[in-house]
Amino acid sequence: MFRNGARRDHDTGPAPEALRLVKVTKSYGTADSAVTALDGVTLGLGRGTFTAVMGPSGSGKSTLLQCAAGLDRPDSGIVRVDGTELTGGSEAELTKFRRGRIGFVFQQYNLLETLTVVQNTVLPLKLAGRRVDRARVRETLAAVGLGDRLGHRPDQLSGGQRQRVAIARALVTEPRVIFADEPTGALDTRSAREVLALLRQAVRVHGRTVVMVTHDPVAASYADSVLFLADGRLAGRLDAPTADAVAERLAHLGDETTAGV
Amino acid sequence: MRSIRQRPGRFLATLLSAFLGAAVIMTFNSMHDTAGRPGVDPVSAETLRTAAGVVGGYGTLLVFFAVASTLTVNVRQRAAELELLRCSGATPAQLKRMVVGEAAVVALVGAALAVVPAVLGGRLLLEVFRDSGQVAGSVDHSFGVIALMSGIDITLLASAGAAFLALRRATRGRRRHGRARSFLAYGALAAGTAAVCSTFAFSATDGALMAPPAYGAILLSVGLALMAPRLLEGVLGRLAPGGASGWLAVRNLRQRAGDLAGILMSLILFTAVSTATLTMQAVESDAVAASGLVKSVDAKNLETLNFTVVGIIVVFVCVMLVNSLYAATTYRGREFGQQRLAGATPGQVLGVVGAEGLVLTVVGLLFGTLAALAGIVPFTVVRGDAVLPEQVFGVWAAVASIGAAATLGTSLATARRVLRTPAVRAVAATA
Repeated sequence: MFRNGARRDHDTGPAPEALRLVKVTKSYGTADSAVTALDGVTLGLGRGTFTAVMGPSGSGKSTLLQCAAGLDRPDSGIVRVDGTELTGGSEAELTKFRRGRIGFVFQQYNLLETLTVVQNTVLPLKLAGRRVDRARVRETLAAVGLGDRLGHRPDQLSGGQRQRVAIARALVTEPRVIFADEPTGALDTRSAREVLALLRQAVRVHGRTVVMVTHDPVAASYADSVLFLADGRLAGRLDAPTADAVAERLAHLGDETTAGV
Repeated sequence: MRSIRQRPGRFLATLLSAFLGAAVIMTFNSMHDTAGRPGVDPVSAETLRTAAGVVGGYGTLLVFFAVASTLTVNVRQRAAELELLRCSGATPAQLKRMVVGEAAVVALVGAALAVVPAVLGGRLLLEVFRDSGQVAGSVDHSFGVIALMSGIDITLLASAGAAFLALRRATRGRRRHGRARSFLAYGALAAGTAAVCSTFAFSATDGALMAPPAYGAILLSVGLALMAPRLLEGVLGRLAPGGASGWLAVRNLRQRAGDLAGILMSLILFTAVSTATLTMQAVESDAVAASGLVKSVDAKNLETLNFTVVGIIVVFVCVMLVNSLYAATTYRGREFGQQRLAGATPGQVLGVVGAEGLVLTVVGLLFGTLAALAGIVPFTVVRGDAVLPEQVFGVWAAVASIGAAATLGTSLATARRVLRTPAVRAVAATA
């Protein structure tokens, strides 16, 4: 079901890409009432980068993330994660593809209420049938500042703490790409800053690739670069962003007609 | 009222239990009407009155429990809606009126729908009595005021009362981990043990021999059912299954032991009551057949009643079981979505649900069987000479397979349906 894409040689080409989308199109609904959420999006993200995806509501941000992360199937186009092409198949096949390659952090945390912090963190490993390295799990949780809350349940934690559990859970499988969907959307500013710093640390220290969908210019300023999305198309890119520059660009998104990255 | 029209599906279970309850009550109470007709001989009238009295009483209890169980689930599902109404200025009294009113309407509709089946059922029942010679062949069926009024009144009262209790439990928030509950549980266990022991005071041919062990078994099963959450926790403490699905299932069950008590309760009651009654009846019939005696009218009455009562209980408990499992599983769509996003394949999620269902089934059947055996063994020791009658195996196998099929079938089929929603949307829907 999944074939290995031709990887470029290290000498000749640029750094291997963690994520590559080619002319990805996705629309919802049928016939007359169809809404095009993604309109031929092509992009490539290098390994070890932190990218924010921004755009107004309905610009296709979430659809982009879901298609890139194998949560949804694009109508057409190619999605390649870590050089391996995602070619549809059943949900079970998509799930197996995601395991080990992709980690998630969601706005609503999506921790299981019946499990403790440690159990939530090791759940992806258990489900994938991989060996659980207790010491490493403990280390990861300590790194996100939850070393003393291992036996707590999600409802005993604050929003920021829950999101940090989610980050630890995403890190522990050592995925190629971590997708974060509005990870700070439900947090106060201080918790948000901690979470963003942890995501940046995942990139800098652990060499992960992080793709974050957000509507907050401050959150986006933590990324290495920002991709702008409007009406299902890429509408520009900003490297080494500052919150002001992002907000400025976002405000004038409708005026531009730039495309391609 | 409008909320019923908007979501007829949610009231279907309540309607079904009201309908079934009303049908059963009316069917049997029409025997009162029939007995009251002029020209019915005293023996026939007596048979009819006993049948109506016993099953009518059972029926009232069952309607109450069944409607209460479906309504509790219903109210819990609508907790968000009720909270919203409260926030937008509805007083508790208004909410109460709304929920109780809805339940009353559903009960009325159920009772109205039940009239025709009850008339037919009453005719059928009378025919059974006539064929077995318990009632004179000349007696005609009559469906009159008693049947109609009692059916509607009981269904209405049971529904309104159940709705009131369900709402009170929902708005009270935290349930009291009641001392009352343990008291009741121990009381039922003690009374059950006493009843079972008193079996030995009867002689083998006593007409009422079947009563103490049967009631004992029922009381014991009620006691065990009330202690269901604690029993479940005890069993789970000893479980350590392999595989991710099993691991997750045990952890889920440990956390949700309290919520699952209702399901376990139905299962225990179902197993105990049907196994005990059917086995004892089979032993009794065989013993009478072996002795070459012809059954008296009373014995025949008892047999008919036993089978009817068990039939009614089986149907009701199945409705309750299926309804609460269906609701509990539907409610978990978000949790399933989270499991899938954490890397569980749909097969693994079904595995979790299956493992949970299996544990519930095994625990329910185990304790149900214990209660049933506690009644059966004294009965057979007194009636025959064996300790364990051979009839018990066939009966138990049938009861166990029905219980297991209902539990596992409902949870897996519902989970399958819930899993059709894409994981991302399932998580977002009730966020």
